[in-house]
Amino acid sequence: MTVIVETSAIVARGLGVRHGGRWVLRPSSFGLPEGMVGIAGQDPSGRSDLLATLATLRRPHAGRLEVLGFDVRNRATLRRLRTRIGFLPARARWAAGFTVHDLVSYAAYYQRRSPSSVRDVLTALELSDAAAWPYGELPADLRVRAGLAAACVHRPQIAFLDEPLTLLGDAARAELVPLLAGLAPTVVLTAPSAAWLTPWCDHVYVLERARLVPAGETAPLAAPPARELPEPEPHHGHWHLVRRPQRMIRRPQNMNMVRRAAVP
Amino acid sequence: MPDLARAVRPARIARVARVVRVDARRGSLLTAVPLLALLGAVAGWRELPAGFRDWDSVVGAAEASVRWSGPTAAGLAAWTGMSGRRLDYLRAITARSPAAAPLHDLALLSAVALAGYLAGALVVALPVLPDGGFRDAHLLGILAGAGALALYVAAGYLAGLSWAHPPVVALTVAAAAAWVALRPEGSWTVLLPPSLIGPADLFDAPRAGVLAAQLCWAGGLAAALVLGHLAWITRRRLLLGGVALALAATALSTARLHAADGVASRPSQVEHVCRHWPVSVCVHPSLAGALPALSAAVAPLATRLSGTPDAIVRIEQRSGREPASFDGGTVGFHLPDLSPGYARRAVHEIESTLTRCPAPPTGLQAQVSAWLRDDPVPARPDTPFSRWSERQRRAWFALRYSDFQSCSLTSVYYF
Repeated sequence: MTVIVETSAIVARGLGVRHGGRWVLRPSSFGLPEGMVGIAGQDPSGRSDLLATLATLRRPHAGRLEVLGFDVRNRATLRRLRTRIGFLPARARWAAGFTVHDLVSYAAYYQRRSPSSVRDVLTALELSDAAAWPYGELPADLRVRAGLAAACVHRPQIAFLDEPLTLLGDAARAELVPLLAGLAPTVVLTAPSAAWLTPWCDHVYVLERARLVPAGETAPLAAPPARELPEPEPHHGHWHLVRRPQRMIRRPQNMNMVRRAAVP
Repeated sequence: MPDLARAVRPARIARVARVVRVDARRGSLLTAVPLLALLGAVAGWRELPAGFRDWDSVVGAAEASVRWSGPTAAGLAAWTGMSGRRLDYLRAITARSPAAAPLHDLALLSAVALAGYLAGALVVALPVLPDGGFRDAHLLGILAGAGALALYVAAGYLAGLSWAHPPVVALTVAAAAAWVALRPEGSWTVLLPPSLIGPADLFDAPRAGVLAAQLCWAGGLAAALVLGHLAWITRRRLLLGGVALALAATALSTARLHAADGVASRPSQVEHVCRHWPVSVCVHPSLAGALPALSAAVAPLATRLSGTPDAIVRIEQRSGREPASFDGGTVGFHLPDLSPGYARRAVHEIESTLTRCPAPPTGLQAQVSAWLRDDPVPARPDTPFSRWSERQRRAWFALRYSDFQSCSLTSVYYF
């Protein structure tokens, strides 16, 4: 069982999640820390249902859940919490005829963001040239980027990404990971296998038999001394990649990813 | 005023317009307007009486068109609700109120459905537009149809939102169609929107109270559904007060419609329009175009009855509630529409009021009846009457009129 610490972005106390009459997550208490957090699980583990619950799209069936210090049961603060959350489902639904720009603008409208936010996020995710393209006709990697742009146009503090890497090849995956790291201070993503996540996640957990346990082959990294952590970047002005000390990123297969991660 | 100025800033309006356009494309809603208009126009046209138009019949046809366009609009709304759930990751995790997305969708769906409805009603009403005579009751009738459509849209959308799976569309259409098809005839429920009452008698006027109650019933129920959903997703207890008010309005309207006992119209005073040659023929103003044909058809009968105690002075159209009658030279007849053969049917009805035969006439009686109606006289039985000239027949008929009237004409004794 993971330990709940003060810096936990997500705190669950007796949290239980069900789907289709079975437990996806049996009532348990845990904390998910800040940083890149991976949740792996083979189908049908229910990781999508767990992620949707953590992202407040579904109500927990048991227990309490706090995200970024907000209790999700408190309706008065739920709306404030949701302004700090970004969520991208596994099979992101789009509408016929949406262009990339339409999709991101649509999301920006619901997040009360100005058109400049749309331009900024498209630039940060290298989608400016594809903004007028129909979403449904994009290749897989650009479609993921467009979904990320829509989900994170409001620069959330925590981003929940359901299997963003599944349909991508190794090269596309390697290109995308630094961008994922820069989406929010805390990024929680899922994948079918822990092996996909361990190279670049700070913490990896496995959802197995309705229990969330640390990945056996990946011990949680010790948090670096506080003085080595970068100053939190203000969330206004321009998009930029969040800088992380290089030793917090697993050495990738492709060194290019490290170089990109180091570029502000 | 500063808040209002901020709300109507062009940039803000442009952003809202973009979202509305995207939502409209998402559900193919823009193509739904002509589809609903076509469906409404065709369905309404089928409900119109043959051969004439007036505002009463046009408004009745527009209300009746909702029986067809309503289930279609409900299915479209269910589809939109279902597809809206798929965008929950953008619309539910939002800085705006949870009510923003459903209200956007409902406003767009209602606008599309009403635009289609009004376009279809306009097509049906085109022939009577120049005539004037549009009254408050007609406006209430149009609004009652619109209210029924809004109820279909609200119910369909909430069904799609509640169960976001493809079969919900077919189930919603089926449920909406069943609401129209399964209400028993003759019960008070036929007045619930959309009304199942057929075309009203020409001499009746729609009851404004019933139309207002229909509008209130549909609007109240739609408001209760929408406010109830908004109260659920926003957890604002104040909205429950609105739900209670809407349900109270619906309950009062239900009581009003129950008290109407399936009757949606009342007798009205109508001033006939007449043509006085060769015989006075008077009809409802909406059927004035039938006067020449009616006069020509009735003239032989009137001529052959002259010189008898039942000589015709005036022929007058009556309400369907009144029996056809013959009283002191004034003949009452029915003319519900101008479908082909209406003049012949009117003559047949007038002729049948002259006698009190318990069974269809045969023999000489039948020959005389055919002659009066200006139909071909049967050749059998072979009677002198069948071979006489018009002048001979008229002279003989004037002498034997009382026997004809009592259905006692036989061949044996009269030649």
